[in-house]
Amino acid sequence: MARAITDIKRYEKTREQQVEENVQEVKEAVADNKEAILKGIEMLRALEDEGTLDTMRAFTRRKDETLANFVKEIDKDQYEPLLRNIPELVFLLGDLNISGLRDLSSRLNNGVEAMENEGTKQKTSFLDLAKALKDPEINRSMTMLMHFLKGMGRK
Amino acid sequence: MNEHTVVKINGNEYLADPDQNLLDLINTTGEQVPQICYNESLGPIQTCDTCIVQVDGELVRACGTSVKAGMKVQTKLPHVHTAQKESLDRILEKHELYCTVCDYNNGSCEIHNTMAEFGLEHQSRPFQPSSYEKDNSGSFYRYDPDQCILCGRCVEVCQDVQVNETLTIDWERQEPRVIWDNDVPIDESSCVNCGQCSTVCPCNAMMEKGMEGEAGFLTDTEPGILKSMINLTKKVETGYGPLFAVSDSEAAMREETISKEKTVCTYCGVGCSFDVWTKGRQILKVEPSAESPANGISTCVKGKFGWDYVNSEERLQKPLVRRDDHFEEVDWDEAIAYVADRMKKIKAEKGADHLAFIASSKATNEESYLMQKLARQVIGTNNVDNCSRYCQAPATKGLFRTVGYGGDSGSIDDIASSKLVLTIGSNTAESHPVLASRIKRSQKLFDQKLFVFDLRKHEMAKRADRFYQPKSGTDLVWLSAVAKYILDQGWEDQSFLNDWVNGFDEYRRSLEPFTMEYASELTGISIEELKQVAQEIAEAESMVVCWAMGVTQHMLGSDTSTAISNLLLITGNYGRPGTGAYPLRGHNNVQGCSDFGSMPNFFPGYEKTEDDEVRARYEKAWKTDLPKEPGMDNHEMIEAIHDGELSMMYVMGEDTGIVDANINYVTDAFEKLDLFIVQDLFLTKTAEYADVVLPASPSLEKDGTFTNTERRIQRLYKSFEPLEGTKPDWEILQLIAKSMGYDWGYTHPSEIMHEACGLASLFAGVHYDRLEGYKSLQWPVAEDGTDQPLLFTDGFPFEDKKAKLYPLEYELMYEPNEEFDLHVNNGRLLEHFHEGNMTYKSEGIRRKTPNAFIEVSEELAKERGIEEGAEVKLISDSGQATGVVTVTDRVRGKEIFLPLNDNGKSAINYLTDNRVDKDTDTPAYKEIAVKMKVLKKKGKSPIPHNNHRRGNPVPQVSVNVQKKWQREDYVFPSKKGGQ
Repeated sequence: MARAITDIKRYEKTREQQVEENVQEVKEAVADNKEAILKGIEMLRALEDEGTLDTMRAFTRRKDETLANFVKEIDKDQYEPLLRNIPELVFLLGDLNISGLRDLSSRLNNGVEAMENEGTKQKTSFLDLAKALKDPEINRSMTMLMHFLKGMGRK
Repeated sequence: MNEHTVVKINGNEYLADPDQNLLDLINTTGEQVPQICYNESLGPIQTCDTCIVQVDGELVRACGTSVKAGMKVQTKLPHVHTAQKESLDRILEKHELYCTVCDYNNGSCEIHNTMAEFGLEHQSRPFQPSSYEKDNSGSFYRYDPDQCILCGRCVEVCQDVQVNETLTIDWERQEPRVIWDNDVPIDESSCVNCGQCSTVCPCNAMMEKGMEGEAGFLTDTEPGILKSMINLTKKVETGYGPLFAVSDSEAAMREETISKEKTVCTYCGVGCSFDVWTKGRQILKVEPSAESPANGISTCVKGKFGWDYVNSEERLQKPLVRRDDHFEEVDWDEAIAYVADRMKKIKAEKGADHLAFIASSKATNEESYLMQKLARQVIGTNNVDNCSRYCQAPATKGLFRTVGYGGDSGSIDDIASSKLVLTIGSNTAESHPVLASRIKRSQKLFDQKLFVFDLRKHEMAKRADRFYQPKSGTDLVWLSAVAKYILDQGWEDQSFLNDWVNGFDEYRRSLEPFTMEYASELTGISIEELKQVAQEIAEAESMVVCWAMGVTQHMLGSDTSTAISNLLLITGNYGRPGTGAYPLRGHNNVQGCSDFGSMPNFFPGYEKTEDDEVRARYEKAWKTDLPKEPGMDNHEMIEAIHDGELSMMYVMGEDTGIVDANINYVTDAFEKLDLFIVQDLFLTKTAEYADVVLPASPSLEKDGTFTNTERRIQRLYKSFEPLEGTKPDWEILQLIAKSMGYDWGYTHPSEIMHEACGLASLFAGVHYDRLEGYKSLQWPVAEDGTDQPLLFTDGFPFEDKKAKLYPLEYELMYEPNEEFDLHVNNGRLLEHFHEGNMTYKSEGIRRKTPNAFIEVSEELAKERGIEEGAEVKLISDSGQATGVVTVTDRVRGKEIFLPLNDNGKSAINYLTDNRVDKDTDTPAYKEIAVKMKVLKKKGKSPIPHNNHRRGNPVPQVSVNVQKKWQREDYVFPSKKGGQ
């Protein structure tokens, strides 16, 4: 006679059994993925050496808070121009004549260099200025600046 | 007459079908026209205006235009483009694009995709939120008016596909919106939670709650932050390009965490298929698609939302073995060894026929095959059966007698396209909801006629063109009388009878007693009405008959099924589209479980165990001698236990102790078994009697195939791994066979299927490759893979290809008497299934339908002085059940209805007895006479305030877009109007 019953005596694994089983499972996974795990360890090491691991851990732990702080802050009205600027900057980059700018910036660098070498020590009289125009380098700079000013004023 | 319809689109000529929808045609040409409200499964709705094109010089909606020969269509002219853009801008006024933080950003958002394809970079006018709140009141989906673009797809699907008629758009108010019934919250409405509105919604306006905060990486944040993030997304965007780039990347990342596997529904026999979206073990949503062969985009509440049982806390996770007064959890090795040893011992001591096996209509075809293989090959007995014995075996019997195949004659499409549908003893709208919707749609929109024969005035009865309530168990009489009258009038299909049917004369003679007077007296239907029915049946161009348990669960279930088939034969309603016999299968795999051999007299494919040639084939394949004589069916097994002739029973996935008739008698039998093995997800009522309980895995955790009511074999794919400690049934059976010395060595269910199909010619061409994804096969399947969606187009499977008319007699065997004066009818509720093991695990369903109830007619309530909420005890010859009363016009007079979906004190089978169909031993569940004792005169209604039965549907056709066009603020987007 088998009466209806509902009591279940649960099968409890001991802590040792559980640990043993888990370790076995992990061991097998390690054996199956040796290469990947070794590479993973290398990567962890690199992150640890650079101190990035601590930052990552801290950020992950506090992800929701940091995200909330950031998003709430950045949603304030005062940042609206900034936020609008970010994409505008992207479009600006598209419009700029980069090779022209590169030329200009190397000239600017030359100028800064010359300025640092001599420019701080000498004094310049009005006559020196007139004379200087005859110097082909100064003359070229002045001409370029005059054209730049003209272009900038153009509508 | 064969005029070609040639249409010029952007200068190129295309051949169209006459009257084809223009947008349909454009979509086949590779031309891109935006279209948001249009969905092929729904047809044109004409609300969104985005598919505007120029036809012969005029701007029109392509979806609202039928092609005409010589039409000239332009889709790319600048002013056409401007009009389309205007329409898209109007949509974005109503829908905020914050895709990256939207749960609907899964690559399939139709607004997102349309805008991206159109190349819309900027919005001309800002988003205008509505003044409405989100409606979160329902169990399963929510509505966000701020995201709703009023495309009306949800209304279309609710009104004309599901035909529940709950949703409308109120175009007349200042801010139109979707409303439920007469503008009540979702939860208080007539909504049945079929979920189709959320399936067809092109965006996140109508969305499954399972998706909310779960689908995206950034969408689970608290509301305040989410709002900030939405604002942020909007600020950063200067155009939609970058926004789409970011959100598309996020959508692609989601593919990593969300898995989408196709499965086949595990509830009724319609066989809906859909993708299940999961994240780990969590189910986000169920997504049917137009490709789903049985259901298309449709689902019911159970298939769409009823999956909580899979992750229920109550799942068993260790095999249980009985030790005195309790079960003890043991590991699998121990349980299997115990089962094998005990079975071997019983077989050795008492013989193989002392062991019996019951397969499950919830399990796969492969598992049914293995159950009978275990019984026949390993044990050596034919004592194997399945739960179709409880429901549709009589229908199978009736069809075998007459037409030779025990399955639906055609597909659900044939039911939908038939001119006349008869349903007999079928509460279709609740028991086979998705199939019922096809009938409801055809009747509502395409002039299909629906005649309903049932005791109860259920939804289909209320919708029917004609509704008759023959007295319980008398269907055979009116069917035969109608057949006789048709023959008497000479209205039969003479040429069909000549060409395709045998046995006419004998059948004709057998009809002699079934005069109109006799039929009218027995059924209670007037002679006039019976004659009308006969005439309309005879005149119908095509007719299908759908029937269910109201026919089969009677003592004359097989004969009544036969009478249906006879009537179809004399009217020539077999073998043509839109005709045939449709015994609606109750469980997902009732059909397949019998198909694959878990029957005491049949090998797979309905080949007799007594046939020496057949048996030799299996003996060769299985390398052992096999028993010849048919074994015991379920009913005989229970009797044999009482008689001491059966010592062991193995029940897989079936709560026999609740679902078999006369459960007191059944559970008494369980107590007498030497060994009782139950394999299930839960510790069911049946399992409580077991010696060993083996924890199995449900459909979402395994691969395999199911066969639906259309004989359609479909594959299911594992959504996630079996819950820890559980195993799929096929693996468990294989372990037992192995420990009994038979190493089957299957590594995947496909190998089982291929073995079965190599042996059973009915399935010769069935192969997993031919069933990939949403592909399916309807048996019989020839070796080259040709299947038969519609049977009998080339004759019947008998030697001379002719069907047989089968003569019948009738004798009234059951009637309530003076003591037991009430007739109890029983059946399903839409939202619960079977004994409720699965659906009661769903909180969302439980809060709307917490328990079964007893339906009592207004007349009876008055007579007994009871009101809504009364408590009564029903007492039959066999036992008693108690429950709470609802007073309703769904039942009449002295008939009461008790849903079978309960396993507590209201379980119907405390009342049922041992009477069975004389031909198949199917319990006569529907023949119960009881007396009623009132325990409490009135009380709280058993139907909660938020149950859909209390709702007030608002029927209309489609979405009434004309009312939108009539609004003063509406202008058709054209060059002039739009600016």
